[in-house]
Amino acid sequence: MAKFCLNHSDKYYISLSDQPKRFDADSPVTNVFFDDNNGQVFTVRSGGVTGVTVNGLDDSKCTSFRMEDKGPIISIKFSPDHKVLAIQRNIDAQIPAVEFYNFQDLIPTNVEYSHSCKWKNAKILGFVWPRVNEIAFITDHGIELLQVLPEKKQLKTLKSISFSGAWYSWCAQSNIVLLAGNNGALLQPFSLHGSNISKLQKLELDSSRPVVERDVFVLRICDASWCAIFRHGSPTASTPGPTEVCLIPITGGNGIQHVLKTGLVGRFAVSVIDNLLIIHHQSSQTSQLFDILEETKCENNVAIHLPIVQGMSMKPALVDGQECPMYSGNWVVFQPDYIIDARLGCLWTVNLIHSGLAHNVPRDEISKIVGVLLRRKDGKDTIYSILNQLITQADVYLVELSRVFDEINSVYRKWADAEVARNTAGQVVEKAGNTFPVLISQADMCSRVLQTHADDKYLVQVVTAYLASLSLQNMVVQHPVAELCVRTLVTRGASARLRSLVRRGCLGEEQLLACQLLSLGHFDPAAAQLALDMMWRLKAFEEIVEVLLSWNEPVSAVGAAKQTGVWTTLAPRKLLAAAHHYAQETNTPTTFLAVYHALLARNERVRGSSHFVKGEQCDVYIEYYKQMMADS
Amino acid sequence: MIDTPHKIDSFFIFNSNFGPKEGDELKRILFFYPNQINTDVRKTQVGLCEAIVRFMTTFSSEPCEALQTQSKRYIFFQPEKNFWMVLVIRIPYATKLSGDSKDVVEPSIMQDFMVSSYKTFRMFVGLFKDIPPEDTYGICEQFFNPYITSIDVSNDLSNIIQGINYLPLEKNSFFKVICFIDLLQVNYPQFKCISFVYNDQLIWNGLCKDDMLTLYQYLVHSLLPKQVEKEIQGGAVTAAERHGRFISPPEGIHSDEDLKKLNKVYLRREDDNETKQYYLVIYRTLSATVSFTVDVDTHVDFATFRALDTFIGPQLSTIASSIGEQCTIHALQNAQIASPDHKFLYFNKLNLAFKTSTPSNCMTPSAAVKPEVLNIIAEIHQDHKSLGKYGEIIIKTPDEYWITGKSSNDREFYVVMQKNANLKEIADEVKRICEMQMKGIFFYPM
Repeated sequence: MAKFCLNHSDKYYISLSDQPKRFDADSPVTNVFFDDNNGQVFTVRSGGVTGVTVNGLDDSKCTSFRMEDKGPIISIKFSPDHKVLAIQRNIDAQIPAVEFYNFQDLIPTNVEYSHSCKWKNAKILGFVWPRVNEIAFITDHGIELLQVLPEKKQLKTLKSISFSGAWYSWCAQSNIVLLAGNNGALLQPFSLHGSNISKLQKLELDSSRPVVERDVFVLRICDASWCAIFRHGSPTASTPGPTEVCLIPITGGNGIQHVLKTGLVGRFAVSVIDNLLIIHHQSSQTSQLFDILEETKCENNVAIHLPIVQGMSMKPALVDGQECPMYSGNWVVFQPDYIIDARLGCLWTVNLIHSGLAHNVPRDEISKIVGVLLRRKDGKDTIYSILNQLITQADVYLVELSRVFDEINSVYRKWADAEVARNTAGQVVEKAGNTFPVLISQADMCSRVLQTHADDKYLVQVVTAYLASLSLQNMVVQHPVAELCVRTLVTRGASARLRSLVRRGCLGEEQLLACQLLSLGHFDPAAAQLALDMMWRLKAFEEIVEVLLSWNEPVSAVGAAKQTGVWTTLAPRKLLAAAHHYAQETNTPTTFLAVYHALLARNERVRGSSHFVKGEQCDVYIEYYKQMMADS
Repeated sequence: MIDTPHKIDSFFIFNSNFGPKEGDELKRILFFYPNQINTDVRKTQVGLCEAIVRFMTTFSSEPCEALQTQSKRYIFFQPEKNFWMVLVIRIPYATKLSGDSKDVVEPSIMQDFMVSSYKTFRMFVGLFKDIPPEDTYGICEQFFNPYITSIDVSNDLSNIIQGINYLPLEKNSFFKVICFIDLLQVNYPQFKCISFVYNDQLIWNGLCKDDMLTLYQYLVHSLLPKQVEKEIQGGAVTAAERHGRFISPPEGIHSDEDLKKLNKVYLRREDDNETKQYYLVIYRTLSATVSFTVDVDTHVDFATFRALDTFIGPQLSTIASSIGEQCTIHALQNAQIASPDHKFLYFNKLNLAFKTSTPSNCMTPSAAVKPEVLNIIAEIHQDHKSLGKYGEIIIKTPDEYWITGKSSNDREFYVVMQKNANLKEIADEVKRICEMQMKGIFFYPM
């Protein structure tokens, strides 16, 4: 089947950031460390004696300094406010400890202190900074959360919790530590929040299939925390099958597990961009995209996902004007979206190229891709491009276009329902910007899409498809759309279609629309008939009277006015003028008399006297009446 | 029933220019019904009409419309210059008391019948003037003879005004129908959908108003009844029928040969401003019937039709069954409403929408409505002055029939009631019925 390719779209959907952050490459005298909390690379030359350089994407937080070499470094990280530097060294000391250096304006102050962990014979697996002035030591005996008091050069234990673990995984976005116990058959997540450690629901795995450190990640996706586990091969089959990624919810996620089918075997790495999970596969040099928000069948609370588009490699990146090796063995991938090449000395972030998603799409998946883009922060422009291209080729893509409209409108509908719920509940809930990153309103659709196709051959069909989609979602058609529809259908000779749509209320009910239809009346009387019907439903009675007067139907105007209750407020002069005109034109003086008498009766009832008052300026017609009476 | 053989005395078409010389009178007669009338009588009849028509031109520039004698009524219709169609109806010779004139056929109904016969002729054959004179006799014989013997005008509310019965369809179902049509036309640009009919109700129309009525009448009164009969005879709906088939030509399209049997018609499409000749292709699945036009100069081949069949078949049957479900729900809801003691008739002049309190396909004949009453309604409808654009008229017959006619906003509404009441009560009752039947539309006659 022919595939859809968005014009001028990129072949690639993943790229590395344009300008990598450069640092001194890893060498025998230089050690490189990465802090994924702050996204900073530490290059330590000769143990720090010849200098430590801190590089990150935030230039204001980059610095360099010297320090004493007190032994090989395992881990080095700034506190979130960059006022304390913590270093863990590999020394055969009796008591495991972490060193602290106070900093001011990114310059060391020479205030140093160290703190040992509460379990004297424990091994410190690592440490993390859950927030400013709080550090957690993660050991094989458990987790100790401490408060750092830089002025006093002291640390104070806030909370500790015992757990026997061999390794851990940390997610800076959700402040969750996952400790692996029982040889990787038991994963225990802990949440470090509010100066407290709380033990979360443990994840018990099949004890025959324990997991290893490099296969486990804690990820933050869609406001939920997940434990991602790479499952290589099938446990029963003798030959290993392709790798699956299991996403087990830690917090949030409605208790649904997601299984991502990669269909590949080998070494993988994972990144998260804008709630999309990217699985990098080294040997095939491809990166697959998974969207856990896509609708998929869900059995026993397990949702199975396939890559949303066919696997594709990252866009080749340039370093020093040359293409650098991609998916290199020197790469280290950190969550959510960092990639480091220690040999080249480059720090990149991974970016999504939205248009690349629509580069090579099977026809029946176009709407799915639009669905994916609707859930991405900057997806809007690509959606507009896709729509515009589909409309231009509506002869080929009419069905797909309808589905895309449905996708867009169903998201809009959900947003609108959520807004209504929010407003009626009267609660101040945060705006649902995260859940609905892209909303395409009817006005947007008109101005950005439909209006630019005024000369397209199939615009009538496109507009109809859009209306059908709005109707399917039970959305009220707003005036810009209705107006555009009327214009399109009339200029393309589809007035019958217009009328049948109006008749069934497919264009909404609005005074502006009624007026527009009315103006078509001179060449399409049926449109005017419907306009009058619509005005009646909108209770625009005065306008109806005006219309009837303008159609030279004074008696009907009076009749309609009487039955709709606007009779007493009508200006008599206007009615008499119309009646006079009609009477003269059709030579039926009785018309004038009928209206005149009706007005006299009205005066009698309203004011108790049948005379017209001065302000009504009816003198001319009173004269005319007298004259008629005199003649007869 | 209008008993055709008994009421219609004769029906003929003549053109005086075809045999201007004496002795050539027979050439002037293009068609004469009934067949068994001998040529002398024919000549006399036509001669009389020729004379009347010519004589009347001295008095009016408008062509002569009718002539009434003691026993016959002649209705004249000049569809094209010099071509005259004449319908002669017998009327009871001995006129007794007034009120016993129920056997008289209202001329307007007969006039309508004649006009629609001409329009059907024009649709399938073309204009009289475009046919070579020597062929005219044969063609007219072929067309009008079956036509006139097949007419079946029962004395019913639904036959007073020639209109179209539209299917009120909920908007999402309607969108399904038009999106289907759009998709079809985008994929097969040579085919233009001109109508979508469900049972005998119109959903979609792509023709100008006049031609639509003619095509609709052809479908509903002539083509579809035959098809339905065939389907019933065929017993259970066969798989092929479920998936749909071409019903025009009537034997379907199964080979290149069958394409030669395609009907040619003259129609004006809604987006066109002239009448053109097209092939008429009609497709039917379940109860849905879709008609298409194809330009006559398009090369048609069997492969295209087969592809079209596979394209339409499944989609149309889905749509048809979903419409069917909706109609069933509708029918169930309506069944709960007790049948009222009044009868009404609604007509919208602008889209020819037509509705009565007794559906036309209803098996129980509305014998309760006397022909006399029908004639009164027909008269009001015909006489534009009595109602005007916005007006109301109430008539009471001696046998307590109240007939109300209202018009407003290009719509007409008639109510018939038989009860002992006064004018005010009737007016109020009619107002109530109006409000119930005319929900959501502007209908305020004076």
